[in-house]
Amino acid sequence: MAKKVINSVKLGAFIIGGMLFLVLLLYMIGKNSNLFGATYKLKARFENIQGLVTGNNVRFSGIEVGTVKRIKILDDTTIEITMIIEKKMLKILRKNAVVSIGSEGLVGNKVVNIVPARIPGPLAAEGDILNTRKTVSTEEMLETLSKSNNNIVEITAGLKTTVQRINNSNALWSLLNDESIPRDVRNSISNIRLATVKARNMADNLNAIVMDVRNGKGSVGTLLKDTSFAQNLNEAVLKIQAVGNEAQSLAVEIKQVVTGIQKDINTGKGTVNALLKDSLMTLTINTSLENIQKGTDGFNQIMEALKHNFLFRGYFKKLEKKKPK
Amino acid sequence: MSLATNLKIFFNEAGNLSRFTGRFFKQWFKPRYETAELGRQCFVIGYKSLPLIGLTAFILGLVLTIQLRPSLIDYGVESQLPAIVGIADVREIGPVITALIFAGKIGSSIGAELGSMNVTEQIDAMEVSGTNPFKYLVVTRVLAATFMLPVLVMMGIAISLYGSYLGVNIHGVTSFHLFWKQVFDSLSFTDVLPAFIKSYFFGFAVGMIGCYKGYNSSKGTEGVGRSANSAVVLSSVMIFVIDLLVVQVTDVLGLN
Repeated sequence: MAKKVINSVKLGAFIIGGMLFLVLLLYMIGKNSNLFGATYKLKARFENIQGLVTGNNVRFSGIEVGTVKRIKILDDTTIEITMIIEKKMLKILRKNAVVSIGSEGLVGNKVVNIVPARIPGPLAAEGDILNTRKTVSTEEMLETLSKSNNNIVEITAGLKTTVQRINNSNALWSLLNDESIPRDVRNSISNIRLATVKARNMADNLNAIVMDVRNGKGSVGTLLKDTSFAQNLNEAVLKIQAVGNEAQSLAVEIKQVVTGIQKDINTGKGTVNALLKDSLMTLTINTSLENIQKGTDGFNQIMEALKHNFLFRGYFKKLEKKKPK
Repeated sequence: MSLATNLKIFFNEAGNLSRFTGRFFKQWFKPRYETAELGRQCFVIGYKSLPLIGLTAFILGLVLTIQLRPSLIDYGVESQLPAIVGIADVREIGPVITALIFAGKIGSSIGAELGSMNVTEQIDAMEVSGTNPFKYLVVTRVLAATFMLPVLVMMGIAISLYGSYLGVNIHGVTSFHLFWKQVFDSLSFTDVLPAFIKSYFFGFAVGMIGCYKGYNSSKGTEGVGRSANSAVVLSSVMIFVIDLLVVQVTDVLGLN
């Protein structure tokens, strides 16, 4: 009988051991698909779920928090997925979190990624529909890549012709092969360097002048800076103004004089008027002048007569002898 | 022997086996249950098979892991080694290999035991003494085989996964916890439950065929050997046939 008890114990342990592993296996699988423990449901709508199937994992910031429970086609462009999320996420997951579909590795299973928005929002409750973001599928990536490839082909073709043209251009190659160019360039650069040195000197001088002016040195400086000079200048200007005023009054007086004279002339007073206005007087003067001419003619005859007179002949001969000397 | 004769023998066998199975079910539900004998048979068939099953399962897990590793490295998915070994082990290799070893050990022992009892007319003696030999010998053994094989399969899977864990750690380093997590993550109910359920059928087939062959062995010493031998061969074939049927059923049900 004792042996039989041991047998039963061994048998019991054996059976329980085997069943325990089965239960453990089933429990772990159930736990992975969130069969046990408190959960709640969230929904998201996509246009394309890229091969997501029920049972795929849901990750919140990379942590597994649930699984995809149901996939339902609402209409031809909307597919609604229902996710079961662990209850502990009730206090963490917000309604403005963004849902997208990714994959575990390059060829792995699809996963649903929930990424929190960085702005505050209400907590997501049972049955809420979260925002979704369209992710780039491999096909779209390849499509874009194919476009890029076409562009690259065009670009390389263009580059090829450009390079060929450059190769065929003698001018460019002669330019490149010309050894005098670098020398010229070098000379130019040294000239530029000299020029800049001069320019710097000039600028220095200019600077010095400006400094002088600012400090009140030199005539310009004095002009700009010396306050006493300014006062003198001011006085001078005032004097000039006074002189100007006097000149004006003088001019007024002269004008009056001129006006008086003009009036006198016009009205027939004085000698000038007689000269200018009296026609009789002109006639008289003319006659007088004729008379004077006749008188000088007569005088000339008399002088000729005198020369020939014996009394004065000797005197005139003396005069003529002196002349050639 | 002509084909017709062969076919005739085959169908005769199939018919007899079916009748034998029918008789089993009829006897099973009849009162006066041989509980003590059932417990003893469970101990002999289940517990006593554990060392053999455990050893083969351990080696299997270890070898499978080591063999799979280079191929997975070729594909760059070495990290998936626990997941792949886990799925292969739970779904197919664990149940089938355990059942085959079980058939080799238990099928032959039942066939030989019942065959020799039949040859030495112990079964007839038992009937004379008032004990229902079918109930006492066949029902207990078949039930023990049916219920012990799933336990052995589970034990075998656990041991072979441990062997696989050691195999993973020969070349790489994976923590015990991570290994089991990867295995459990890769599994689903549709992997475990069909495997578990089909092992009942395997056990039933092994017990049933072993008992049938032993109970109906021909007279003479060579009859014992032949019944033991044919019990192993037929039950091994039946295991694969059942496996094929189960995979078809699960495929149709969409459980794969």
